[in-house]
Amino acid sequence: MLFIMPVVLIVISSLMQEFGWSSLTKEPSIQVLFVNNDQDSLGTKIQSGFKGSDVFGVVDSLNGLPLTEASAKNAVKKGEYLVAIVVPKGATRTMRANVRLSVAKTLAGFGLGNPTMVNSIAFRDSVDVTIYFDPTVKKTFKNALISSVRENYYKFQTDWVFKTFNQEIAIQMPMYKPPKEAFKEILKFKEVFPSYREVELIPNTTQHNVPAWTIFAMFFIVIPLTQSLIQEREGGSLFRLLTMPVPYMTLLMGKVGVYLMVCLVQTVAMLLAGILLLPLCGLPMLVLGDDMAGLFVMTLAVAMAAVGYGLMVGTIAKTHQQAASFGSISVIILAAMGGLWVPIYLMPPFMRSLAMFSPLNWSITGYYSIFLRGGSLWQIAPQVFKLLLFSLSTVIVTAIYHKYKKPLNS
Amino acid sequence: MSQQPIIEIRELTKTYKGADEPAVNSISLDIFPNEIFGLLGPNGAGKTTTISILCGLFPATGGNVSIDGIDSHTDMKKIKQIIGVVPQDIALYATLSGRENLTFFGNMYGLYGSELRDKIDHYLREFGLEKHAGKLVSKYSGGMKRRVNLIAGLLHDPKIIFLDEPTVGIDVQSRVVILEYLKEINKKGVTIIYTSHYMEEAEHLCTRVAIIDRGNIIALGRPKDLLEGHPEFKNLENIFIHLTGKDMRD
Repeated sequence: MLFIMPVVLIVISSLMQEFGWSSLTKEPSIQVLFVNNDQDSLGTKIQSGFKGSDVFGVVDSLNGLPLTEASAKNAVKKGEYLVAIVVPKGATRTMRANVRLSVAKTLAGFGLGNPTMVNSIAFRDSVDVTIYFDPTVKKTFKNALISSVRENYYKFQTDWVFKTFNQEIAIQMPMYKPPKEAFKEILKFKEVFPSYREVELIPNTTQHNVPAWTIFAMFFIVIPLTQSLIQEREGGSLFRLLTMPVPYMTLLMGKVGVYLMVCLVQTVAMLLAGILLLPLCGLPMLVLGDDMAGLFVMTLAVAMAAVGYGLMVGTIAKTHQQAASFGSISVIILAAMGGLWVPIYLMPPFMRSLAMFSPLNWSITGYYSIFLRGGSLWQIAPQVFKLLLFSLSTVIVTAIYHKYKKPLNS
Repeated sequence: MSQQPIIEIRELTKTYKGADEPAVNSISLDIFPNEIFGLLGPNGAGKTTTISILCGLFPATGGNVSIDGIDSHTDMKKIKQIIGVVPQDIALYATLSGRENLTFFGNMYGLYGSELRDKIDHYLREFGLEKHAGKLVSKYSGGMKRRVNLIAGLLHDPKIIFLDEPTVGIDVQSRVVILEYLKEINKKGVTIIYTSHYMEEAEHLCTRVAIIDRGNIIALGRPKDLLEGHPEFKNLENIFIHLTGKDMRD
């Protein structure tokens, strides 16, 4: 279970995230209800923009009937769809009128056309594109969708502005010959992920998920370790062990050795899942990076921190229930706090400062250095140092607790 | 007895944190080599606390203990090498087999290889467990567990064995095997310190007994002498009830 469950966790969580915002499968994962009451260029342009998206798919009819605003709203209300976009009737006409007026007013500034008349005309009211959202939808999703609508609108409007300019200038100045190509987008985005390596590492769900869940699984060693310690205490084995000519700390170190091995084997299993199993599920293959020594040291440091933590909790906790509930909940809190689930940059400032105290944050920072930045031993040294210090502290606390509050000396 | 005691206890006291009264109240006692010494008393009398201190599980609040001439304050590790402990609880790992448990505990005493293997085989045979050696302890009956629990305390051939209620809750056959074996090793020179609630068992097994109650020794001597000192009672159990009262203890 210690090995199978974490592997299953990695596969499931990677699949969930990959298909949530797919960039690989090219199959849109979120269907958007689209009501095109405009039935003109703007509505069609926004609709085709969504159709070309990797993330959003367009639905314009339900049960064989063309969508109306009411039916779309109802479908969202019932939770059948996450979102419905309604482009109002006359949207293109309003946009064109305002663009034409805007161009005419600009040309009037040059004394072209009829400035007196043009300046007396007011712009038409803006048109409202209504978007119905399911209440469960998150803010980030809403922002992404609105940005997508806005992007398609601005592209169309810019294109229309240039066309109108050319037409108006051609009317005012008959000798003017409009260019064949009115406008060319000059801004293109090139995504670069700087890396310590020569070869760039492309971030993807696998590179993010495998280290995150590996750390999570390693820290969950707290549960079997604490259970073993308490079982030993309650079952009487500790009584016997303490009557033997072996120092208690030697016994504990023996346990540490065994659980460190479990953590290392668990990590190997999870990395192998990232390399061999995830690609079989259509996910990107895990790229380990160049520095195997760095990866080993990082893993060992995380394992030592996790086992040390388990040792401390298992020694201090009085009962199985106490150890199990405190152990598991504290790991979940430290994971959430440390940015394993929600990236630290999305957290409020207070939480960001708290994150710096979570050993799981040091762990994920170190692993990301290796898996996403191509870092080596030198780059992960601060995290390794912190984790080893944490591990040492837990062992010292355990030893002090044992010395001054012997586990069997009630 | 003109011999030098193998265990000398002087004014031994233990008061647990938060307790109003001491669990062991300044007791002094000598136990001699080759004795089977019974520490008898009702629940909470201080038997297990006394044994725990003698075994080095936790320190006494006051007093001194010397075992085989070694002061417990100075070299507990050496004392631990010559004593064997059979706890009241089944102190075994349920997820390991009987043999694996014995191998692990043997290793803790510094026994390895063929020496340990031979000893384990010997004891498994002796206690009729050889056929079950490979089975998980969780599958053993109560009597089988008790027998393995005893073997684990004998593997390193201790000079002194502490047994905390070794026959509690087991079948008659297992009890007979255990008691016979204790007599046998006692004949070979092993000193046995034994606690029990079974007065009849103690009366027949022990060379001397101490009846302890509320942390104090209230009677000490050979069972025969105690019976002679209380002619109105026909057995040790009656003397025990007379001395400790009929009130039930927690």
